[in-house]
Amino acid sequence: MDRREALSRGLGTMLRSKRSEYVTAAVLMAPFVVIYGVLFAYPTIKMVQLSFTNAPLIGPGKWAGLDNFWRLASDRLFSVAIWNTIYFVILSVIPSTLLALVVALGVNRLKGWMQSVVLAAFFLPYILPVSVVFRIWGWMLDKDFGIAQDAIAPFNNGQHLSIFRTIPLFMPAVALVTIWWLLGFNVLLFIAGLRKISSEIYEAASLDGASRWAQFRRITWPLIWPVTVLVFTIQLILQLKIFDQVYLFAQGGRVDATMVMVQYIFKQAFQMNRGGLASAASLVLFLLIVVLSVLEFQLLRARGAR
Amino acid sequence: MIRKIFYAGLATATLMVGVAHATETIVWWDFLSGGDGVRMKSMLDEFNKEHDDKVKIDATTLEWGVPFYTKVQTSAAVGQGPDVMTYHESRMPLGISTGSLSAITPDELAASGIKASDFGPANWKAAEGSDGKQYGVPLDIHSVILYYNKDLLKKAGLLGDDGKPKGLDGVANWDAALAKLTANGVVGLSVPTADNASIWRIFYTLLNQQDGQFLKDGKFLEGDNLDKAATAMAEMQKSVKSGWTPAKTEYPASIAIFTSGKAAMHINGVWEVPTMVDLAKKGKLFDWGAIQIPAIYSHPATWADSHAFAIPNRVGNPVDPAKRKLVLDAVHWFNVHSLEWAGGGHVPAYLPVQEGAEFKALKPNSDYSSLAKTAVFDPVSTLAGVASPVYDAAGNYAMPAMNGELSPADAAKQMRDDLQGQAK
Repeated sequence: MDRREALSRGLGTMLRSKRSEYVTAAVLMAPFVVIYGVLFAYPTIKMVQLSFTNAPLIGPGKWAGLDNFWRLASDRLFSVAIWNTIYFVILSVIPSTLLALVVALGVNRLKGWMQSVVLAAFFLPYILPVSVVFRIWGWMLDKDFGIAQDAIAPFNNGQHLSIFRTIPLFMPAVALVTIWWLLGFNVLLFIAGLRKISSEIYEAASLDGASRWAQFRRITWPLIWPVTVLVFTIQLILQLKIFDQVYLFAQGGRVDATMVMVQYIFKQAFQMNRGGLASAASLVLFLLIVVLSVLEFQLLRARGAR
Repeated sequence: MIRKIFYAGLATATLMVGVAHATETIVWWDFLSGGDGVRMKSMLDEFNKEHDDKVKIDATTLEWGVPFYTKVQTSAAVGQGPDVMTYHESRMPLGISTGSLSAITPDELAASGIKASDFGPANWKAAEGSDGKQYGVPLDIHSVILYYNKDLLKKAGLLGDDGKPKGLDGVANWDAALAKLTANGVVGLSVPTADNASIWRIFYTLLNQQDGQFLKDGKFLEGDNLDKAATAMAEMQKSVKSGWTPAKTEYPASIAIFTSGKAAMHINGVWEVPTMVDLAKKGKLFDWGAIQIPAIYSHPATWADSHAFAIPNRVGNPVDPAKRKLVLDAVHWFNVHSLEWAGGGHVPAYLPVQEGAEFKALKPNSDYSSLAKTAVFDPVSTLAGVASPVYDAAGNYAMPAMNGELSPADAAKQMRDDLQGQAK
């Protein structure tokens, strides 16, 4: 009887506290919901609306149906931008993910202050703003006065080579700079993942005489897989939105030949004063990112769960 | 003690607010950085000092190019922005078409003492809209000029007794001179071959020296203009292919090649004059000079643009008439004082200064100021002007042509088709 009474009283408190919990939750969530609505949901809806109009950068436009999308489909520059973006993703995402894993494995084997120093060395570029990264590499690789030219010349008949004005070299070079710049963050994620793998598993494996490769193949790789998928997805989304580096390194050059999607949107909106067309291009990019990242995430997760 | 300081501070603050109320403030935006920025800052200080108790200009310098013009457009549309701003005349067609600029009436101009007759006709007209209204007042004419190393030219026998180059006119002479100057690790001519804006200026100069028209009645490079464009690009390509001009050279590097004595001549904007003057002052530069670009084709002509002043069309919050009067008074003040601005290499737009004795005595400006008479401004189009699709097209087509990656004829055709496509 006593027990029952206590139980019902407890239930009452729980119900009451549940109600007040809802209020608390609502109050706590409100700022986020409002900000999310005002700064993300509303502009996104507006962007979709704009993409069906011929609006300039500022002010309203007339309904234009699918005109903007037909225009995109027939615009050679837009297909160049899509191809360049995908090319850049291929050049940067997989190498940066794998390289980060390799570096993380190496760093993880170091001990004490040595580990901190090496980790810091890899992480340092990540804290630089893109403009600084652009300047550093721009100066190092400058055709006439760059110090890196001494290393490049022997591979180019002793001649200096303009890396960022030679179109076939442009994307690989920007990808290289990007990998150097962002690697530290990926390494950090991998190290966090590696530390979660219990050392007992490795001990047991080495007692059973498993080689280093076998340990990696059978223990590290499967257990680090979720982190790999995470890093890969973050990189994929980030690099599909590539703009800064390409814009800076191409500035003043053959901009069209190295155009990427966000740059195309920037050009249409801010240089050409075409808000509607820029919105349509943004929508295409948005859908591309959604489809690719969901597809990729599902595919890789499925493979991991095998 | 702390309380004392606090009250003292408060008193000072109150006093300053009081002064600020007594002064009319003009909010000013410009895109002038580097040497131009320093010079403009000192002129602004002078203006503020002279107008001590009445008018004060509160100036902000913003990023040049697309960012500047986008910011002007977006802020004007929501009733924000400055009372006055600098504006390239070449980019005014875009500003007018987007409604970002406010027309200035003849009465307003007259009230501040600004007269059309005080400016070159082409220069004044470049700030006029297709509606016949005036949208700006020019401050200067800036162009590209030929910098030269007197020692190297003398050695090659290309320097006249007056210290100016000789025998550079006409394609044959020009090519021969470049070939002669290219020797012993020195090249004939350095230009920023990796910079679209520089390439546009040279290309447009060469096109106009052949009487070529880049844009006519809405058609880009129509008829034989296409051949003239190809001819200009072929000449540019020849210079690189023959080793007279280093390929794919970045803007700062092209200057360094010249100032370090590794190039006999250099084509760049007048705004680099202070760079040379300063180096010479420090004793770090050879004997140098600058002249108008020679007539490589039938007659002299040089690309030119103009820094002008404009009033933004702030929607819902227009600059009030009294402030507009102050703004135009200030604009006139800057033109009257533009001799100081000329120190930055520019040619003053204001004729009383341009034709005055003081400017004529100013070196090296007076050696090249003749270019103002044959200056050709950018085509009037929303697609043309500073940081425009036309500038981009120079990078996309004329640049690879010059650097030998595309045939001049193909480059000219692709340039035409691209721009014509964008005009739709």
